[in-house]
Amino acid sequence: MDSRLKPFIDKALSRRTFLAGAGSVAAAGIITGCSNDGVTNTTPPPTGTYTDLDILNFALNLEYLEAQFYLYAATGKGLAAANTAAPTGYTGSYTMGTVTLGNSAMVAGTTSAQQQIINEIASEEQEHVQFLRAALGTAAVPMPSIDLSFFGPLAVAAGIFTSAQPAFNPYSSFDAFLIGAFIFEDVGVTAYAGAAPLISAAGVASGLLNYAAGILAVEAYHAAYIRTALTGRAISMGATTPTSTVYPYVGIANQVEALRATLTVGNSGAPGTSNTGNTGVAGSSGSVEVPLNVPQSPTQASAIVAADSVHAIGFARNVNQVHHIVYGSPTVGVKSGGFFPNGTNSIFSTTTA
Amino acid sequence: MANLETQVLDDIIVKGRRKLLTLGSAALAGLVLGGTKEAKAATAYTDADILNFALNLEYLEANFYYLAAFGCTIDAPNAAAIAAGAPSGGIPISSSSFVGTPGGPVSKTGANMVNFTGQTAIGAYATETAIEEGKHVLFLQGALSSAAVAQPLINLTTAWQMLGSALTPSAPTFSPYASANAFLLGAYVFEDVGVTAYHGAASLLTVSGNLSAAAGILGVEAYHAGLIRTTITNIDPTATGIGATAVSISNLRATLSKAGLLGSTTVPINDTNPDDLGPSPVAVTLAGMTGYTSTKIVDCDATNSIAFARNTTQVLNIVTGGGAVNGTTQVTPAKGIFFTNGMNAGPNGFK
Repeated sequence: MDSRLKPFIDKALSRRTFLAGAGSVAAAGIITGCSNDGVTNTTPPPTGTYTDLDILNFALNLEYLEAQFYLYAATGKGLAAANTAAPTGYTGSYTMGTVTLGNSAMVAGTTSAQQQIINEIASEEQEHVQFLRAALGTAAVPMPSIDLSFFGPLAVAAGIFTSAQPAFNPYSSFDAFLIGAFIFEDVGVTAYAGAAPLISAAGVASGLLNYAAGILAVEAYHAAYIRTALTGRAISMGATTPTSTVYPYVGIANQVEALRATLTVGNSGAPGTSNTGNTGVAGSSGSVEVPLNVPQSPTQASAIVAADSVHAIGFARNVNQVHHIVYGSPTVGVKSGGFFPNGTNSIFSTTTA
Repeated sequence: MANLETQVLDDIIVKGRRKLLTLGSAALAGLVLGGTKEAKAATAYTDADILNFALNLEYLEANFYYLAAFGCTIDAPNAAAIAAGAPSGGIPISSSSFVGTPGGPVSKTGANMVNFTGQTAIGAYATETAIEEGKHVLFLQGALSSAAVAQPLINLTTAWQMLGSALTPSAPTFSPYASANAFLLGAYVFEDVGVTAYHGAASLLTVSGNLSAAAGILGVEAYHAGLIRTTITNIDPTATGIGATAVSISNLRATLSKAGLLGSTTVPINDTNPDDLGPSPVAVTLAGMTGYTSTKIVDCDATNSIAFARNTTQVLNIVTGGGAVNGTTQVTPAKGIFFTNGMNAGPNGFK
């Protein structure tokens, strides 16, 4: 195991104990995966039986989450019902869920330029939902229940706030929004990178790989925006370190990364257990997180790109690792929680080792 | 064998959209994805050919960023570059095991290093990008091993003025080394193109590990592009200054890309034409409500928000300033602007 990761994992384990001791049901649920909605299930997902449609539907679940987060941030409203309900002719068993906000929606106090970037990401994630639903046709799963109030417990788990403080609200300011977005964007990039090689030869032939690669790129543009904004704002405000009091958000973003690492490192899971070519792959102890920095001179490299340090190749996460993150749980056998209180509408919804 | 397989694969991709239409039923028919793709004929390339195509582009990008950030070419050991993470011995650009005609170190005329004094953020971005593009060169060389091509003859001096002259309005004295803002425009020329090149190549690769690597590099190129477009947009949100120049660069790329279709009215899967949108604000509809203004950080199609893909001829025509096409006839080897004598393509490679 990479020695640098040991403290993170130790920290996660000790925090689990601490939170359980603190008796906060919601907070404990994040780490232990035993929230009120969580149901443990030791049966692993049906390895090897997934189809290309399952891969696309997995992506659709993530796009529902991102689109709702950004649309509420931009407008105070979410996806239109036509973009969340099961399509006409849908014969699957998943049902449409609801969105729990928990915070006043729409980001407060933005400049015109800031509002426009929120609008852009909202627009593009909304179009991804529409595109995937169209591509899936009658096989498109409806939107699962989404809990955007999970940002509060997640911030506690990351050590950003204590449970005694008011819940973290990603809509409270532009910088808070950047942190909220940061939670998703690098993950989206890695999810598509992990999914792309799973697409069947027939799926490649029918253009699905091309679509996945195209959406991967868009998610990376988004991630770059968020990371550039955090880095650039820190520099322009005179921050000298990520945790500088004049602009602490770079350090907060790095706390989010550390939490993501504790949730996924060592979790391999199926499908997609084959090596996807990058570090941080299934079963690897390597981290796929690259902490942001605050360069103090033009000759000091920034850390905008999340890529491996040897080859500068972007990371991949498999479907299981992504579920551990969005459920906020490193625990095996969890099939709901976190941002998805009833689980994802996906055959991959139960976390595995 | 692989040649035949990729040829078959490409042929299948040609017909791919129709299959997806079946899959997506009537719903997908409502999407405006552009015309039916007619792939370029006779694509009998191996994974090595495709990766070598990428290696040529990485030689170009890495040298540009090294010049801008460190004032040196990638093969020259440089203290500042090494301090930032470059290999201590420089990056090899030719060896007895490399394929193709070595073009030698990229020539420098005058000062290429950008003065980033007072521009810490942009300088740091240049430094980061230089190191990462250099690593891509090394990675591809390693992956290709003895099949790797040597660095071809690359022009990163007068090429910029040739490129500037082709812009509307014309900028015949353009130099990306003149200032931090000029550097951003130079970087802008390359980054979105890298995204489209890796995107277009992904579906052609036959070895899963190569696909994973290509997808990973695609992501990194998109991070770079997002970084550059974010910075330009922050400096010039209304696209009246350097943003307007970026838009004109996108327009030129779209024109060259279209010519790369060799007269075909069809475009690659899920693309539109023009296939390049500059960082100028656009109107969007959100949650069913019109009247919102959006930045355009992401270079993607306006209907589905999927990044563009280009085939190799389209990419070649951009980086050679139109050297890949004569009317509706493909010119081989494609050469001009940055690639004076064309790319080093390897035995079966793209020209």
